[in-house]
Amino acid sequence: MSFTHLHVASGYSFKYGTNLPDQLVARASELGMNALALTDRDTLAGAIRFATSCESNSIAPIIGIDIEYENQSRLLLLATPGNWSSLVRVVTGMKRLASPPTTDFFIANENYTKNLLLLHGPNSEVSRAILSRRYDKALAILNKTRNLFKDQALECVSHLESEGVRSTRHAARTLGFARDNDLKAVLSNAVRMKERSDAPIADILDATRNLLPLHRNVVERKNAEAFLKSSEEMAYLAESIARAAGERSGKLLLRATREWAESAQLSPRIDIGIGLIHLPEPSVVGASSHEELVRQLKQRCYSGISWRYGGKENSHGNKNPDNNHDNKEVIARLEKELQIIKTLGYESYFLTVADVTDRARSSGIRVAARGSGAGSLVCHLLGISGVEPLSLGLLMERFCSPLRAALPDIDIDVESARRLEIYDQVFDFYKERAATVAMFDTYRARHAIRDVGAALSLPPMEIDLVAKSLPHIRARNISKSLENLPELKSLNLTSPLWRMAIGLAERLDGLPRNLAMHPCAVVLSDIGLYDRAPVEMNASGYPMVQWDKDDVEAIGLLKLDILGVRMQSTLAYALTEIDRTTNKKIDIDSIPLDDGPTFELIQSTKTLGLFQIESPGQRELVGKFAPESFNDLIIDISLFRPGPVKSDMITPFLNSRQGWKPRSLIHPNLAPILSDTEGVVVFHEQVIEIISTMTGVSLAEADEKRRALGDRDSQQVICDWFFPAALARGYSLAVVTEIWDVLRAFASFGFCKAHAAAFALPTYQSAWLKTHYPAAFLAGVLTHDPGMYPKRLILDEVRQCGIKIASIDINRSDRSYRVEDGSIRIALSDVSGISDNEIDSIMKARPFLDLADFVHRAEVSKPITESLLMVGAFDSLYEKSLNRRDLLLHLNDLYKWSRSSSKTGSSQLTMAFTPSLVKSGLPDLRSDELVKHEIEHLNMDVSHHMIEFYSNFLNEIGAVRSSDLLKQRSKSQVLVAGVKVALQTPPVRSGKRVMFVTLDDGFGCSDATFFEDAQKSYASTLLNSQLLLVRGEIRRTGPRGVSLRATGAWGLLDAYEKWRNLASCE
Amino acid sequence: MFENPPQIYLIGGEPVEFTFRGQRFRIHAVLSSWRESGGWWNRASDGFYRPDDGARILWRVEAAPIGTMATFEIEREEVIDPRNPIWRIRPTSRSASA
Repeated sequence: MSFTHLHVASGYSFKYGTNLPDQLVARASELGMNALALTDRDTLAGAIRFATSCESNSIAPIIGIDIEYENQSRLLLLATPGNWSSLVRVVTGMKRLASPPTTDFFIANENYTKNLLLLHGPNSEVSRAILSRRYDKALAILNKTRNLFKDQALECVSHLESEGVRSTRHAARTLGFARDNDLKAVLSNAVRMKERSDAPIADILDATRNLLPLHRNVVERKNAEAFLKSSEEMAYLAESIARAAGERSGKLLLRATREWAESAQLSPRIDIGIGLIHLPEPSVVGASSHEELVRQLKQRCYSGISWRYGGKENSHGNKNPDNNHDNKEVIARLEKELQIIKTLGYESYFLTVADVTDRARSSGIRVAARGSGAGSLVCHLLGISGVEPLSLGLLMERFCSPLRAALPDIDIDVESARRLEIYDQVFDFYKERAATVAMFDTYRARHAIRDVGAALSLPPMEIDLVAKSLPHIRARNISKSLENLPELKSLNLTSPLWRMAIGLAERLDGLPRNLAMHPCAVVLSDIGLYDRAPVEMNASGYPMVQWDKDDVEAIGLLKLDILGVRMQSTLAYALTEIDRTTNKKIDIDSIPLDDGPTFELIQSTKTLGLFQIESPGQRELVGKFAPESFNDLIIDISLFRPGPVKSDMITPFLNSRQGWKPRSLIHPNLAPILSDTEGVVVFHEQVIEIISTMTGVSLAEADEKRRALGDRDSQQVICDWFFPAALARGYSLAVVTEIWDVLRAFASFGFCKAHAAAFALPTYQSAWLKTHYPAAFLAGVLTHDPGMYPKRLILDEVRQCGIKIASIDINRSDRSYRVEDGSIRIALSDVSGISDNEIDSIMKARPFLDLADFVHRAEVSKPITESLLMVGAFDSLYEKSLNRRDLLLHLNDLYKWSRSSSKTGSSQLTMAFTPSLVKSGLPDLRSDELVKHEIEHLNMDVSHHMIEFYSNFLNEIGAVRSSDLLKQRSKSQVLVAGVKVALQTPPVRSGKRVMFVTLDDGFGCSDATFFEDAQKSYASTLLNSQLLLVRGEIRRTGPRGVSLRATGAWGLLDAYEKWRNLASCE
Repeated sequence: MFENPPQIYLIGGEPVEFTFRGQRFRIHAVLSSWRESGGWWNRASDGFYRPDDGARILWRVEAAPIGTMATFEIEREEVIDPRNPIWRIRPTSRSASA
C-alpha cells in the first residue's frame, strides 16, 4: 500500500524547504506514490507549479498551508475537493492581518474554514500540551476548533529524535491521547527535504532565516529524518509508534492517514483551474452577452478602419505607395482575424486590453504596444498598437493562433513617469477582477555565496570580495565562474572551508528567496479571481496574487505587461514643450513615416538621445547601413542583437545592401519574402512564410513548426516532416537541404518583426522630434533620462545641435528642463541634494528680489543655497560688477545675522536691517573654477566643456577633434581625447572580449574599439580614467561611419602633466 | 564510558550482544532508540551530507553480563497452615544450573 505524505514543505516555504515542488513530485513518483501534499509555510506560492507537476506525473495533488497561529504555534489546513476557493479565501484573509490568525479569525471565516481539514502537527499548541502531560488543556484547545472545520485530526510525527515533539515516544503519546478521546490521528513525516542528503541545505536556510551563523541552537533539525520517506519506511514508523502506544500494529494509523489523504485529493483542472481560461465577463466592457461582445468587437474594428485608413490619404498621411491599402484588403484581413478570435473566444481579451489603453489615452498618457501583438490588425484598429501591420508584412498568426490554446501576450509601453496612474485606473475600474503579479526572487550566485558564507562564519571581507567579483550567473555555475576570476587569486578558495561554502552555495541554485512584485505585470480576470488566486497587498499597496507570470498563465488569467518606458515620457514631454512654447499641437502618432530630414539625421549617426539606436554599436551599424525607410529601421533594430551578431548575419546583409556583393537567393519563390532583407532571414515572420510557401501548410501551422524549431528534440521531428513535404511540392533536394540549414540556423534567434516594428515606431518618432524640434526633444531627454548616456553628454549634444544652454536661474529655472527662447534652461532638480520640498517652496515664493529675499522667504537649507549660488542661480539678480565670491560672503553674513536675530527672538525684524552687500574686491571665479563648481553641484559641466582646458596641449600633440575624424584618411594613425561617456563589452561573434569606448570632446563623440591585444596594457586605464587620450587607426565603416581601432590609451590628466613638466624643463 | 573499539554482535542490523570492559553483555530490552546528527559544519567537507559528518543512531538498552541473567522457578506449596509456608527454588536456564 502506498503512503501519502500530508505535510510537505517545499522551497516556497521561503528559507525553510530545501527542494522545489517538481523535485518532490518526481521523487514521490519514483517511490510509487499516487498522491502527495504540498503544505508550504504561510503561502500558496508553490501551488500552481506543484499541481502542474502532479498532473504531468499522474499524482493526485493535495494542497494546504502550514500557518502560524496563536502563541507561535503552527497549524495545517488542507483544501478538500470542490472547495479550493475556501482555502484561497482563507489565505487572502490571513494576509490582511497584521499578526498571525487567531480562533476569532476562523470564526469570522467559518463559511470557508468549514470546508477545510485541520491538522494539529508537532508544532501545534495541542502537541505542546500533550508534551507537558496537560491532557485537559489539549482537549480544551481542540474543542475551540472542533466545529469550525470540516474535520480535524492529530498528526503523529516521529523523526526518531530522543525526546521532544518529534520523538517516537511523543508520537505514541499523541496517538494514545487520540484513542482515549475518540479523536482522529494520522501519520506524517513533516517533510522539508527530498532526501537525507539535503540536510545541510536545511541548516543553511535555518541560519539564513535567523541571520545567525550555524550552531546547534540555530538549526531546527536534530537529525536528517525530515525527508520524503518511502512507503516502507513510513510503515515501519507507523509500526513503532503504534506499538509504543500499545497497539498491535500500525495498520489503523496507516488506514486513517490513507482515508484523510483520499478526502483531500484535488483535481488540477476542476479544482485549481489549470488549463482553463478566465477572461473578464462581457459586462465589464458593457456587453450583456457573449454575442453582443462579438458584435461590439466587430463594430469597433470597422469604425477603426475609417480612423486608421479613412480619409483621402491614409491616416499616416503616408505617400509611400506600399502603405496604400484599399479597404478590400484591410477588410479581408480583418475578417480573417475576427474569425480566429471568434474560434478562440478571445473577444473579451481584446476589448479588455483596448479598454485599458483607451483609459490611459483619455487621461493623456502615451501608450504603445510592444511584442507580437503589433502584428494584429485588430490591435491596430482598436488603438492598442500604432504599427500598421499590412504594409510591413506582419502576421497575426505569430501573435495569436487557433492552434494554440494559450492566451496571447500583449505588452504595452506607457510613459514611465505616469505608469502608476494607469495602475490606479485599472484597479479602480476592475476592482476584485484585477491584481498585480508576483515574482520569485531566486538564489543566484551572489546571494548564495553571501548567505552560505555568513552561515559558515567566513571572513566578511572575503565573502564580499567573492560575491562582488561573481557575475550575475546561476548559483550552480559558481565554481566554473571562479576559475576565470584572476582577482580572487589572493584568496585560498581551495581551502576546505571555502570548498564547502562553494559546494553548498551551488546547491542553493534556484531556490526562491522571497516574493516580490513583478515590475509591470497585471492580471485581469472575471469576478472569480479572488476564488481562484490568493491575493496579498504588496509593499506598494497594490493587490498581488501569490503567483508569478507562468503560474497565472497556467490558470488562464489575462496577463498584461504595463511597462514604464522613459522614452514615452520623453516624447510626451517634448510634445507639451512644443505646445507650450509654440502653441503647436502635434499628433506624433500620425506623422508621415517617410520624412526625408528625419532619415538624414539617422544616417548622420547623430542619434544620441534616440530610442534604441544611440549606443556606440548601433551608431556604427546605422552608419554602415544608412536606413532610408521605416522598414529599414525595423531591420536595423532586429540585426543589432546578440544572435545575429554572433552568427554574422550582418555582413552578408550589408554586403548586398551596399551592392558590394550580389544577394544570394536560394529559390525564386522566396524572393518576395526575403527581398526587404537582402535575402537574409531576419524575422520570425519570414521563417513562417518560408515554411508555409515550401510545404503548403497554413501560416498558423507554419508558426507551430517554427516554434518547434527552437527545441533540439522536436527539431528532428520537424526535419522529418519538412523534407518530404517540400519535395512533394516539387522543390529539388538541393534547395530543400539548403533552406533547411537556413531555417535551423536562424529560427532560434530570428526576431519577431512585429516586436521590432513596435520598437521602431518610438525610434522614428524620437528621430523626427530631434530633427524638427531639437530643443524640445532634448529638454525631454534631459528631464526623463531615457537613454544610456550621462546627462553631461546630452548637454554636449545640445551644444552640438547649436542650441544655447541657459544656466540655472533662481527666478526662471523650473523643476524640469524648459525650452526658453530656443535655448534650454537647466532644471532646479539637478542641484545635488535639493529636495522636492525645497523646489516647491522656491517655485511658490518667487520671484525673488535678491539673495536676502531668498534667504528670508524660500525655505531652503544653507548648503543648497550655497550650491545654487556657486552655479550662478543668483547671477541675474545682480549687476556684473558683483561676482559669486562677493555673493558668498554676503550669504554668510545673512546667515550669521539671521541666527543672531532669531536668538534674540526678534524674527519679525524687517529687511531694512539686513546686512548690506558690498563689493569685496576678490577676483571672480576663473572658468576652470566655474566648471569645477558645476561638476561638484550639478554633476555636469555647463559653462565650458571639460576638455576645453586641455585644448593647448591637444593642439600641440596633434589630437583630432571627433568632428574631424571623417576627414581623416582610412588607416591613418590619430590621437583623440575626451570624457569617457560609455564603455561597453557587448557580445561578439568570436566570443572574445572587445571593449568599445565612447569619448566626448565637446565636438561630438568618437568611438574606439579595443581588441584583445590592445586590452592587455590599457584595460585598467580604460576602466579607471574618466578623461582619456586614445591612439588608434582610422577605420571607415560605411558612408558616414568611422571608428578607431585603438592601439593605446592614457589618462588625459597624466599625459597633460607629463607634457607640462617637459615644457617647463625646456 | 564508551569502549573503543567495542565489539557488537548484531542481528538484522540491531545490536543483541556486546563486550564491555572485557565482559560480554546480552541486551534484554531496547528502552529507546533515536537518531542524531549535527555539527557537520565543524568538519570541513564539500558540503554534502554524509553519515560520517556526525550522524549517529543511539540505543538505550537494558543489558546484563552473559550468565548473570537467569530464569528460576519459585514454588510455594499450598498448605493448611499459612504461617508455615513451604518454599522451593530451582534454576531452569542452563547458565544458572551450570
